[in-house]
Amino acid sequence: MKIKDKTVLQNLGSCGFGGASNVSCVDVLDGRIVRIRPLHYDETYTPEELNEWHYDIDGHIFRPGMKTLLPPLALAYKKRAYSPNRVPAPLIRVDWDPNGERNPQNRGISGYRRISWDEATSIIAAELVRIHDTYGNRAILVQGEGHGETKVISGAHGCQSMLLDQIGSEPDNYTVQARQPDSWEGWYWGAKHVWGCESHGQQNPQDNVIWDISKNGDAVLFWGADPETTPWGWGGLQPSRVCFWFTEIGIRQIHIAPDVNYTNAVHADRWIPVYPNTDAALQLAIAYVWLTEGLYQKDYIQTHTVGFDWFEYYLLGREDGVAKTPEWAAEKCGVPSYRIKAFARYWATHLVSIAHCNGGGFIRGAYSHEPARLEVYLLAMQGLGRPGVNQFKFIEWVLQGINPLPRSKYDPVLYGSYHGWKMHASKYFIPKTMTPAAILNQEENLNWSGHVLCSMNRVDQFEGFEFPGDGPRIHMIWSDTPCWETCWNGGNLYQEALRHESIEFFLVQHLWMENDTLMADIILPISTVFELRDVAADIYNGQWCTLVYEDQAIDAIGESKGDYEAVGEVAKALEKYGGIYEGIYERYTKGRDFDEDVRIAYEKAEIPLDVYPLEKFKEQQYLLFPTEENWQERKVGFQAFYEDPEANPLKTPTGKLEIYSTGLAENFPDDKIRGPVAHWIEEGDGHEERIGSNRAKAYPHLLVSNHPRWRVHAQHDDIPWTREIRTCKVKGPDGYLYEPIWVHPQEAEKYGLKDGDVAELFNERGSVLGGVYVTERIMPGVLYQDHGARTDILKYGAGGLDRGGANNLICPSATSSRNAAGEVTNGFLVGIRKADVAKLAAEYPEAFARDYDPAVGLVASARIVG
Amino acid sequence: MTKAFLIDLSHCNGCYNCQIVCKDEHCGQSWLPYAEAQPDTGQFWSRIDERVRGQVPWVRVSYIPVICAHCAEAPCIAAAAAAGKPEAVYRREDGLVLIDPEAARNNAELAQKLVASCPLNAIYYNEELQLAQKCTGCAHLLDNGWTIPRCADACAHDAIQFKEEAEFGALLEKAEALPAVADLGPKVYYLHLPKRFVAGTAVDFADDEVIIGATVELVSGSGGAGGGFQASQETDELGDFKFDQVPPDVYTVVIRAEGYKPLEVTADLTEIDLSVGDLGLEKLG
Repeated sequence: MKIKDKTVLQNLGSCGFGGASNVSCVDVLDGRIVRIRPLHYDETYTPEELNEWHYDIDGHIFRPGMKTLLPPLALAYKKRAYSPNRVPAPLIRVDWDPNGERNPQNRGISGYRRISWDEATSIIAAELVRIHDTYGNRAILVQGEGHGETKVISGAHGCQSMLLDQIGSEPDNYTVQARQPDSWEGWYWGAKHVWGCESHGQQNPQDNVIWDISKNGDAVLFWGADPETTPWGWGGLQPSRVCFWFTEIGIRQIHIAPDVNYTNAVHADRWIPVYPNTDAALQLAIAYVWLTEGLYQKDYIQTHTVGFDWFEYYLLGREDGVAKTPEWAAEKCGVPSYRIKAFARYWATHLVSIAHCNGGGFIRGAYSHEPARLEVYLLAMQGLGRPGVNQFKFIEWVLQGINPLPRSKYDPVLYGSYHGWKMHASKYFIPKTMTPAAILNQEENLNWSGHVLCSMNRVDQFEGFEFPGDGPRIHMIWSDTPCWETCWNGGNLYQEALRHESIEFFLVQHLWMENDTLMADIILPISTVFELRDVAADIYNGQWCTLVYEDQAIDAIGESKGDYEAVGEVAKALEKYGGIYEGIYERYTKGRDFDEDVRIAYEKAEIPLDVYPLEKFKEQQYLLFPTEENWQERKVGFQAFYEDPEANPLKTPTGKLEIYSTGLAENFPDDKIRGPVAHWIEEGDGHEERIGSNRAKAYPHLLVSNHPRWRVHAQHDDIPWTREIRTCKVKGPDGYLYEPIWVHPQEAEKYGLKDGDVAELFNERGSVLGGVYVTERIMPGVLYQDHGARTDILKYGAGGLDRGGANNLICPSATSSRNAAGEVTNGFLVGIRKADVAKLAAEYPEAFARDYDPAVGLVASARIVG
Repeated sequence: MTKAFLIDLSHCNGCYNCQIVCKDEHCGQSWLPYAEAQPDTGQFWSRIDERVRGQVPWVRVSYIPVICAHCAEAPCIAAAAAAGKPEAVYRREDGLVLIDPEAARNNAELAQKLVASCPLNAIYYNEELQLAQKCTGCAHLLDNGWTIPRCADACAHDAIQFKEEAEFGALLEKAEALPAVADLGPKVYYLHLPKRFVAGTAVDFADDEVIIGATVELVSGSGGAGGGFQASQETDELGDFKFDQVPPDVYTVVIRAEGYKPLEVTADLTEIDLSVGDLGLEKLG
């Protein structure tokens, strides 16, 4: 019996940006993928030749492991390739006529018909020329920076900017949607101003922190962190193994969050429920206990920090007449005051580190810079950098050099042939959080601070920018990132923007008919990784840095092409216009073919080519790189600063931990929300999202909307095998699989809700539906629904209604605060009520009649009319 | 030689990899003569039974991977024989029990009997083929170079192990079977099957403080599975106590702390795990 014809290796990570992970063996039989399975490194390598690292704690051993640690999202990924929701061919919206009526108001409503690649690229080329000649290319908004499949030579995000760079005399002459660090908001906009850690704002460095905790620590606080979920698309299950390791060696795992996330559910020793985005109150009360009971490292505060007296002044209530006592905090955060006191004393008398995974309710709410800064204050009060006291993350290991596990001897990169987002500061840009405002507020000049990109340093936040300034408004959007509405801040307003009459052409290249794609004027079909050849560098897995030669597994499905190739087709279509377009395809590709791109990428991979020749890479299909020698000698995290702050200054203006952030004081002297010292902020800068606010009378519940368990943001929502899992979808009375809403039994009783009911989460920005899941996994008073569900819009725009449960549609549009352009997508107010599905079906008959397969969700034929 | 599975739940993170890869192997893919294709949804030859336990703030989730137990006294084999189709279900030399799709297809009556025969509900009905289907232990892979089935291969924690039964040695002494098949000679063993927990916190509400170092006793009531069970611990630095892996029963929880009146509460753990919450103790005198 034949169980396969061949095996190819593919990275099935979901990060994008060239950052691969989840290297998988893809078995192919008769031209189809038959299985996806882990790669067993030990079929090629021995631990000895990889200089295997290990921890040894009293005879307990932790090793990196000799097979890839794939998450279910990778193991089920063939279902995405064969999804009936794939974009089958180039499509054009039936009532969009580039030579006549464009009907922007019908985006999202009207259907599509198939056209040929030639026809599609001819229309696109004509539009590009027209826009260029009419407005200049700054009227084109490039959305080319999203997460997604991780490709290098074939894209996947940003190829259009490479083409636009070739139009006109200088590159960068178009408007870029600049992606702010959407999962690190608080660290980036807040913590950085305390400890100067570049550029994410999370602790940097984190070397050997997990080893240090293993040897010296007593406990780890998981403050909204979910290593059993968030890292899945980035590096697989090594974080899960670390949690089991902590249990094995007796490191106490304490979870602080409104919900029992998937890590808490399995690994937690203690859960302290806290209302969403009220961590700042809890943190202040902990600091108050330490301050008033003398339970902090006073010498450290003297020698390692500046401005602590400002914090003391605020804590004790001398600034505003309100002491930040546990009793004060209990009312705001829902943690009883006796527990706050006990926890504060426990923390102060043990060696405690804090773990994060990005996301969670902690770091994506309004004013997220405040809890982030307060966390650094608390770590400082306990002597940040002393043994057992650090912050570390369970995700994106090695990104920007941050890695709490032993380092690899080489961290290979393949940016020499990376055809994607350039990750640099663009000349013309709009923060992604402000895209709707930039389009809808036609008379306004938008202002903000900083380039907002995750790679920018602290002082970049002090530079002011504007849009449109002396440039044109946006008239065309070219997106390979069509998930704004379900991933960013206030999707209903974004829909309004896409339907604005100023947007003459909305071009999307994507793999599936989902989310923003359904509002495009032209859709180009894109291939999955299985259908392409590529190379990948997996540096995130926490085991071994890996280079992978990814052969093509299967033929292209439908008429799809890779992103790089698809944009190349547009380049070819532009050639006929001559002039500035002459030779543009050659300029776009630099005259290089795939093999040449592989060679160049490899030669620039920052590995010794004599030890690792290209031929060996191609023959073996992958290479592992050994652990660096003497990895144990690297100082732990903030150890160097702890030992000698003068000799090892931080990147803050004073070189110290700035409890009083001098940079903020100097540059934003009038900012009362993000002032020099972190505060509890009740309301302001466009947000009224507290349970004590006026809005809470109508919308009384704070919603937790974490990074999803069964998706990576908007990805993977059409996999039948995950959709069968209870926490992935809830089957409604109409057979439709709804995005779960976690409802505590107390609220279920109050609202007459039971398992399997369909309910509506609502506020003045609109409503989304969900399937009720009555559970003790959410604290009373709070509701939970993962973010990123695939939209199934019943009513578009402000005040809209979504059947899919994409709660980003009803997030606040205002940014973290006035001078911090982060997104606010967690911990916002909603109401809940039971939905009458039969009534909705009568009200929206066309939407309810769309082609739908419960196993998959909406399918492509739902929108294709011819 | 008989193969067996050993599933250690203390290493199960609930990722569903085992459930997913089983589908990856079998959905829409026929591996005759071992197995017909599984429908894309609705069947779970390898499934996770997920249960949320306890109440706020003491909550955890148990995940139990459930596959065909490949019982030595397999009810499905008996059911096939009783239905006059003994060739429809067979045991291999390695102990794996397989439904022969050629012998069993197009026979709705037999299929329904096989489905009904399984105490674990691990046999599923394929309506299109009128065929009963279940876990094959990935026998088609084992016969073609693999040493373990997909579910074991995909587990990042080696929570699912598959090898010669004898090779597990002393590990099996602590292992249990799922109760439904315990008497049938199952070849799927478990370590750390969940029992019950009860947890809470001792608090002096008047002083607004937790009570650290209070003695907490757990004593079983009469007649339940925990007959005679008794345990004691002190509240920790958060004032918490937690008794884990205790047999289902009705218990009395008694909290004693110096200077306080003892407090006694009943904890009925016969059906559920329990958070008894923050329990207030009154000062003496």
